[in-house]
This record gives sequence, structure tokens and C-alpha cells, in this order.
Amino acid sequence: MNTIKLNVNDKDYEVEIDGSMKLVGLLRDKLHLMGTKVGCGEGECGACTVIMDGEVVASCLVLAFQAEGSKIITIEGVGGETGEHPIQKAFIEKGAVQCGFCTPGMVLSAKVLLDKIPSPSEEEIREAISGNICRCTGYEKIVEAIQLAAKEINKGEESYE
Amino acid sequence: MNKGEVGKSRTRADALGKVTGSAIYPEDIVMENMAHGVTLRSDVPHANITVDISEAEKMEGVVKIVTAKDIPGINNHGVLFKDHEVLCESRVRRVGDPIAFIVAETEDQAKEAMKKISVVYEELEAVFCPVEAMKEDAPRVHEEDTNVVFHYKNREGDTESAFKDCAVIAENEYRTSMVDHAFLQPEAGVSYMEEDGTIVIKIATQYAHFDRFEISEALAVPEEKIKIINTEIGGAFGGREDISMQIHLALATMITGRTIKCLYTREESFYGHSKRHPFIMKYKTGADKHGKLQAMEVEIIGDTGAYASWAINVLRKGGVHSTGPYEIPNVKVDSIAVYTNNPYAGAMRGFGATQPPIGHEQQMDILAEKLGMDPVEFRLKNTFKVDSVTANGQVLVESVPIDRCIEAVSKEMDFKDKSYRDTVKKSNRKKGRGIGAMFYGTGYGNGFPDISQAEAELTKEGKIVVYAGAAEVGQGCKTIMRQMAAEVLGVESKDIKLVSEDTSLMLDSGTAAASRQTYNTGNAVKKACEKLRDNIIKKGTELLKANSDTGIALKNENVFIRTLPDTKISFKEIAQDLDGKDLKTYAEFIAHATEMNEETGKGAPYWPYTFGACGVELEVDMETGKVYLDDAVMAQDVGRAINPNLIEGQMDGGFAMAHSYTIYEDLGLKSGHITNNKFSKYLMPTALDSINVKKIIIEDPESTAPFGAKGIGEPVMVHVAPAILNAIYDATGVRMLEIPVTPEKLLKAIHENNEK
Repeated sequence: MNTIKLNVNDKDYEVEIDGSMKLVGLLRDKLHLMGTKVGCGEGECGACTVIMDGEVVASCLVLAFQAEGSKIITIEGVGGETGEHPIQKAFIEKGAVQCGFCTPGMVLSAKVLLDKIPSPSEEEIREAISGNICRCTGYEKIVEAIQLAAKEINKGEESYE
Repeated sequence: MNKGEVGKSRTRADALGKVTGSAIYPEDIVMENMAHGVTLRSDVPHANITVDISEAEKMEGVVKIVTAKDIPGINNHGVLFKDHEVLCESRVRRVGDPIAFIVAETEDQAKEAMKKISVVYEELEAVFCPVEAMKEDAPRVHEEDTNVVFHYKNREGDTESAFKDCAVIAENEYRTSMVDHAFLQPEAGVSYMEEDGTIVIKIATQYAHFDRFEISEALAVPEEKIKIINTEIGGAFGGREDISMQIHLALATMITGRTIKCLYTREESFYGHSKRHPFIMKYKTGADKHGKLQAMEVEIIGDTGAYASWAINVLRKGGVHSTGPYEIPNVKVDSIAVYTNNPYAGAMRGFGATQPPIGHEQQMDILAEKLGMDPVEFRLKNTFKVDSVTANGQVLVESVPIDRCIEAVSKEMDFKDKSYRDTVKKSNRKKGRGIGAMFYGTGYGNGFPDISQAEAELTKEGKIVVYAGAAEVGQGCKTIMRQMAAEVLGVESKDIKLVSEDTSLMLDSGTAAASRQTYNTGNAVKKACEKLRDNIIKKGTELLKANSDTGIALKNENVFIRTLPDTKISFKEIAQDLDGKDLKTYAEFIAHATEMNEETGKGAPYWPYTFGACGVELEVDMETGKVYLDDAVMAQDVGRAINPNLIEGQMDGGFAMAHSYTIYEDLGLKSGHITNNKFSKYLMPTALDSINVKKIIIEDPESTAPFGAKGIGEPVMVHVAPAILNAIYDATGVRMLEIPVTPEKLLKAIHENNEK
């Protein structure tokens, strides 16, 4: 057992881990952040997507100790309980959610994209979520939702200026 | 009275939890002092087995190892035939058959103990090809003296003599593959015992009430001592129809009294549920020189693997739908389900109606080409109209908008003007367009009791609660049941509470399958709400001292006089005054169907029928064989749209699943083993491969349906594969008779065609 320090959703944690534990295990089993899902266990489906130091990672592939000192954002750290983030609102409005199992990962992949590229092209959106498999929606309403979210975020920023 | 709920794209009732991560799927449940269960499965396809758990029982942390010997009731389950064993006692019939359920304090301990279980396999001859399995000397998968599970027959007219008079005949053998639902959430569940001894299973299932029945049979415990609670369901598509771990969990909790969690890995999930039946379909189709279809002979052989599951309904549905949405005077259909030692096949989106269009729709294009006719025009000459008679002798008395669907597609996508061929993105590609048409009969079929029950309640606080045991698999039924109830009761859908998850709280509404929830349970919900509305209006009329209920209306949880809108009384006040028996109303709905004649297929197998058409434009890379979708249009009959946005979501999803089925998915079956049992090998399209389908909703209300609405969860997938296959032919001149059309297969076919 080792202890690592990390920040998850703006909160500092010290967590006991064993060497083989994956980041998703740390988040789900140790911190009980159940919004991060496991669909395949081999980094293919993207259901376990979290943001680690600003980048999208498949938390089922990252070893927990690799997260030492890093800043992690999970779905629980986006938009609060009422889903106030524009991406979440757009997913609801556009009907980008069906069974919902891919949704947390999709929202986080979209967030990293929009944090980096505020007005992405459709191709950039498809690229950004190409590591997230959705079996229900055929992706189209997810793409539309991310386009809408980008618009809303940009509109919001203009009004701040 | 239209209060504006039906027909509106209300946002999903379950969306907030899903976008914030607070939605609870079974694997997310953590309870105190939880033990963990793992399943030991057969790794050979057919064998007699001897199991010894004595060493494993001594392992650290082991709570209990459950085997067939521990089952107090019936060691069998199955949706139609009870041919699965809960835990195999002395024989396994497929790779992945469950043999023991190991419960230990931790999952690692359970896995370590599993390694110490000794299973001696005395291998038996196995059979993997359904055609071989039908032979007299084939090894028998079950005790019966044949591997044939079911034989559907349809005999209409005289095909033999009709073919003699045909101007053109097409004769081909089509083959479809066994595929997985690949719902994103692998099976998981938690079981525990309540203080009064009730066993509770929290699980994601398509049919909680049937799970309860099957558990009760295996445990020899009355159903009321078992409770199934449906959590959020991470996709289903038919794959959560059959029992997976439910009985194992219930049994282990009953024996140990412990709270137990079980979670399949993706690899195990591939063995944990059913598959889509692969069909071998021999089609012979003939038309006269005017382009009128005259005769069709179809023979379908469906491999149901080691267990029947829904094989009878699937091969029946395949047989009934093998004609396509066309009037054909002479028809001969044989549709046969066969046991093999492959993974077992059951329900999957389309329920047997998804495979035949891969045959009949390519036959249509082949005949049209032989006649020098436009494929759209050829189809329109033969499509069902109102009062057409199906090959089963069933009269299509209303809502038959197949022509509108085909015309809507051909208006958006011109199949005649071939100038699109000049617009390829790269010089090594060729472009093509193709069309597919479909019909789909809702429900289990053939007079099988297709009952949905629902209740509606006015609480003392004046709130509406609807009770319906309809599983929310992602299709949106939690949203549309509320919309339908709200429409009847003049309230807003967001103000309605829906109870649909706990078997101890609501009645059986049948399975979330066969596209039946909107139609069947929707009808039951509507009827129950209408009864409650009548009770509310009656009491309201009395309390408002109105002389008649004709001038009474409902709005925002109030009853009021239409012409004196301030003269009103609230639902809450009415509830205080209503008799208890009038506060909760019950209704059931039974879909119309009759049993078909076993020799001729005559009868009314399904109702209602849903129609649709799809057009696809694609490019084929002639050097790699890779298919790139460029454009698509789908026109879907829905009867009436309860929630257009949810319907569009189904259309997108059905298109994507069919695209994947046609081009990508391959289990890599080898002697009953699924060699592609992980997502790195079982390939599916990503957002980079998908396209934005133009979606056209066709409304033609069905009088027996709630507000006219038909089910569309499955129909939206059925016409896509043939549209893709016809487009591949248009681009390359190659007829692909077998799916999936992998790049290797298509390239080989292109080369063979070039050599001709």
C-alpha cells in the first residue's frame, strides 16, 4: 500500500492505493465517485473518461499512482448536481442522452475540446469524441449538443466582456 | 382535449441524472458488508462435466460456492422453453455456460477460489453449423430427437406454376452474421435480504416481472417474497431479456443471507447474454413483365445456438416479414430455428425482422434491373396499401403509409439521375445510392398473451402517480408514458410521478421489447388515466354544482367550468372528497393477434404494422474495399409522434446500429468461442464514421394506438442494411450476399467481379 495525493474536483485527497490499482478504481472504490463508468476495461469505449491535468484520459488504463499530484475532473465536478454546465444543458436540450452510460465520458471529452477550442468545427467535435463509443444515439445529437454548447459558452463570454 | 403534451419534444425525464453522473446503474450500488460473486463458466462447447468444489471451498474469504445441487426449485429457466440450466449440473452445451457461482468476501478472493474448482470435461461431439445440425446423424444439443426447435410455414397460392409465368426471376442465398448487442453497460447486480426475508435484486433488466417469476421457480419461493428493482439500464436492445445473473444472486442471498454484488467484465458479458440469430436465407422471387411481383419462395435457417430463448418468435417474425411490405399472390415460406453449440441467440432489435430485408430488398433491386425499371417505381408497383392482404391473409385495414415513406426518401435522394456518381471525393473511389423498404409487426405475435397493465392514482395531495412496469432502456418510455398521462389528465408531464422500477409497487406491463411499450403499455396508461379523469370530473362536477360534466375541463391540477374559468376546484380538494376506490384506477391492454395455422401460416400474427424506407449514399474505396457513408435519409412511419425528438434519437440510433451490423461487427466465432469478445476486436463505428441522417417522421395515426402512436424502436433499424447493400452494388457492380461487408470481403468480391 502506498499513499498518493491528488486533487479531484477541486478537493485535495490522500488515498491509500496498491500498485495495481487503476485510476478508475481509485475514483469509484475509494472516493465513491460513481459517475465514472467502466464499459470495456481496455480503453476502447471511453465510458471511464476523466480529465487529468486538462487532458482526456481513459481512467481504466491509468494506474492510480500515475495520478500523484495531478488535478482530476470527473463528471461530478462539472456543473454540480443540477447540471448547470452549458454542455450538460445542451445534452438535455438536444436529446443527446439515451441509456446514459456513455454520457459522463462524452460530456468530459466535450469539455476538454471546448476548453481548448471554443468554436470547433464539426470534424474537430467528431475527432474529440471518437474515443467514446455510444451504442444508442448514433452520435448525431451528441455532435449537435456540443455545437450548441459551444455557441452558448461563446455567447456567455461575449456578454462578460 | 389537447393540452399540448402529446407531440411535444419534452426533454427526457431521466436526463439530468445521466448528464450529472448521479444516475445509478447496478455497478454503482455500494452496500454495507457486501460479498462478491463470480461465475465459473464452461470453456468447451459441449461436454459432460464433473464438478468438485471441495478445494475451492477451503479458500480464504469464501462464503459459499453455489452449484446445481443447491437449487431447491427448478434448475431451469428460459423465456419460452425452460432449456437453460441455472447452473449446469452434468452437461454444458456452449462455451460460457454457467457451472458455479462463487461468493467470497472480496472479488479477488472469489476469483482465486474459482481457480481451485475442478471441472472434468468429457467432451462430446459438437455442431456449429445449423445446416449440419439439421441432419439426422448430427450430435444432439438437447435431449430431443431433433435439433430443430421450430418450423414456421406459410403457403399461399401456387409458387411453382407462378414462377413459370414470370418474366424475370431472381434466386440468391443471403447470409447474416451472429452479433452482440454490445450495450455499453456490462451486466451487474446486487442482491440482499430484507428483514422479513424478502429477497431483493437490483439489476438492469428489460422485464423485471418475468425475472421475478423465473427466480421464484428456481428458488421455490413465492413471487411475493422476491422483489426486482430496475436501476438505470445502460442499453439493452434485447440482450437483457433472458436471465443473466439474477437467479445466481437470489439463490446465493437466500442460502447465505448476505448482500452480494456481481459485475461482469466486457469479456464475460459477451458470454453472459444472447446474440442476434444468424440467418441463411434462400430467396427466389419472380415478377411479370409489367413489374408486378408474382411469386416468392423463402427458406430461412436460423441458428439459435445452445438455447431457444426467443427463437420461435424470432424465426416466426422473420418468416412473416420475409415477403417485405409487398403484395405477392403466391408465397411459400419455411423458417426454421435450429440448435447448435454456438452462443445462444435470442432477442435483438428487430426480433427476426432485421435479417430478411437483406434478402428481399436486394431481390427487388435485382428484379427491377432485369426489367430495366427504376427500383423506386418497381417497389411502388408492389407495396401494401390500405386493405392489402398480407401473405398470412391478414387485411391491413388502416395506417399503411409505405408509399409515402418511399416517396419521401426518393424526393430527398434522387436514384434516377446518376450524376451523383461524378462527385466522388477521391479518384480511387466509386459512389452509389441504394434504397431499402420495410414493414414491422409490433409485439410477440401469434396470439401469445401480450398484456400490459397500468394504474393511475390521485394522491391526497392532488398529485398524479402512474404505475407501469415498463423498463426504461434508453428509448425514453419514462418520458412518453408521462406525456400520454399528462395529455389525458390536463397536467404537465413534469408534474407526473411515474413508478416503473420496483415489482412490489407496480403491475406487470410486459417486456420492453418487440417495440411494444409505446403501443401496448401506452394504451394501458391512457386507459387507466381516462378512468381516473372520469372519476375526477364526476366529483368535480358535483362539487362545482354544475348540472352536467359536458362543460367541465381539466387544467393545471384543477377542474373548472370551461365557460367560467374562475369557477374551479383543485385536484387536492377533489382527492379529499373522493372515495378511496376511485382514487386509483386500473386498466389493461391486450394487443390483437390470433394464432396462425401451423401448415399455411394463415392468421393475424401482429398488430399494428409500422412502415419505413431508407436511402443511403456511399463511396467505396476500390483499392481497400472500405465503405464510407456520405449521406442518408430515413422516412419512418410512427403512427403519431408522441415526442418527435425521442423518435429522431431512435432513428439515428437504429441507423447507426444497422450501419455497424452491415459493415463492422464480427464475433469471430471459432468452434463456439467468441474470439472477438472485447471492444478492441469487436469493432463498431465511432463519431468519425457516423453521418447525419436526414430524418423524416411520417404520421398516419393508427386508431387502436394511444393517440395513434406506433412503436418504432426496432423498425428504425430494419431498412438500413439493404439500403447500404444496394448502394454498394450501385457503386461497384458487386452484390454482397453476406454481411458483414468487411473491406477484405468487398475487395475480394470486387476482384472476382473484375475477372469475370
